[in-house]
Amino acid sequence: MDEDILTTLKLLIIGESGVGKSSLLLRFTEDNFDPEQTLTIGVDFKTKRLSIDDNTVKLAIWDTAGQERFRSLTPSYYRDAQGAVLVFDVSSYSTFAKLEKWLLELDTYSTKSNIVKMIVGNKIDVDNREVSREEAMKFARRHQTLYIEASAKTKDGVQCAFEELVHKIIQTPLWESYADNGLQIGNKDHPAESSCGYCTLS
Amino acid sequence: MADVLTETVQPEDLKRFEKIYHEQLYRNDVTPKAQFEYGWCLVRSKYSADIKKGIILLEELYRTHEEGQRDYLYYLAIGNARLKEYSKALSYVRSFLSIEPGNQQVINLHQTIKKKMEKEGLVGMAMAGGVVLAVGAIVGFGMAIASKVKS
Ligand SMILES: Nc1nc2c(ncn2[C@@H]2O[C@H](COP(=O)(O)OP(=O)(O)OP(=O)(O)O)[C@@H](O)[C@H]2O)c(=O)[nH]1
Ligand SMILES: [Mg+2]
Repeated sequence: MDEDILTTLKLLIIGESGVGKSSLLLRFTEDNFDPEQTLTIGVDFKTKRLSIDDNTVKLAIWDTAGQERFRSLTPSYYRDAQGAVLVFDVSSYSTFAKLEKWLLELDTYSTKSNIVKMIVGNKIDVDNREVSREEAMKFARRHQTLYIEASAKTKDGVQCAFEELVHKIIQTPLWESYADNGLQIGNKDHPAESSCGYCTLS
Repeated sequence: MADVLTETVQPEDLKRFEKIYHEQLYRNDVTPKAQFEYGWCLVRSKYSADIKKGIILLEELYRTHEEGQRDYLYYLAIGNARLKEYSKALSYVRSFLSIEPGNQQVINLHQTIKKKMEKEGLVGMAMAGGVVLAVGAIVGFGMAIASKVKS
């Protein structure tokens, strides 16, 4: 039903290699998980239709490779993104420590000043957790980003992470420039209720 | 909407990596990294002359730098698909999948190429080109193209 789609939003997924960016995307777009998920080459791309807040949007999602050898070119895909998912692995402290650097890179290369950011702590299904929820939430609050804990393996939080992000993008004043596309936006003084209240948001 | 076959490189990125490559070329010391980065930019150009140049650089890397072969195959498939050289693009995809059959990203690229061909009414040709080339055969193939362009 292509005629129902009102607009396309560009989203990015960034973070260290191996934290589960592609796995989160595969779970979100195809409700699938591959324990042998191979590392991304350069940049991958997937689309997904999402109905939210009485609107249907099409998401164009760019999944970047975290491996060092692709780093010089991945930022060139940040251009025009309206939302960014920054992923770390809750069982690897170093991937959390690198978030600061990813946020900086996003600020440097994203062309939209009010790009909406969502931090996702992935792999909460594993036993040896190295980053506590409290610490991650504190970090997210300090950087004024959303925070959700997820597991691409068990599905926990995945749908929610993307829905929250899109919900927030739709609510941002930036959105007004798209309003003549016929999209009904919530009154920004009275933001609509969170679309998935069951998840952890900072 | 842009996808991996239609998004284009920013001219300033292309220039930046072209400069690095040429500086190294001048010193006769081109690193695989610089050549890959420049090739990656070139195959995302909107000009087919650039894409062709990118393909030559990536083909050369594919033959000489084993470590990055998966990366080169992937971008060779993209470059050829952008030039509408679909049978070549599909043979790169198939060689990749014969080594890594479960690779989601390449399966995804395969779908994207097929959809593009369908749109252009080329489905029949996809069938005709449906021969799986061994990777060795592609290397030979690549060399033939490279030498043709140089002469
Ligand atoms: N236990 C567990 N493993 C996961 C989860 N998400 C991903 N993995 C595994 O972690 C590994 C890396 O996942 P990827 O999705 O390829 O990581 P990536 O961030 O895309 O890595 P790059 O493409 O190199 O940047 C794979 O073996 C996945 O199966 C999760 O939620 N739980
Ligand atoms: Mg990946």
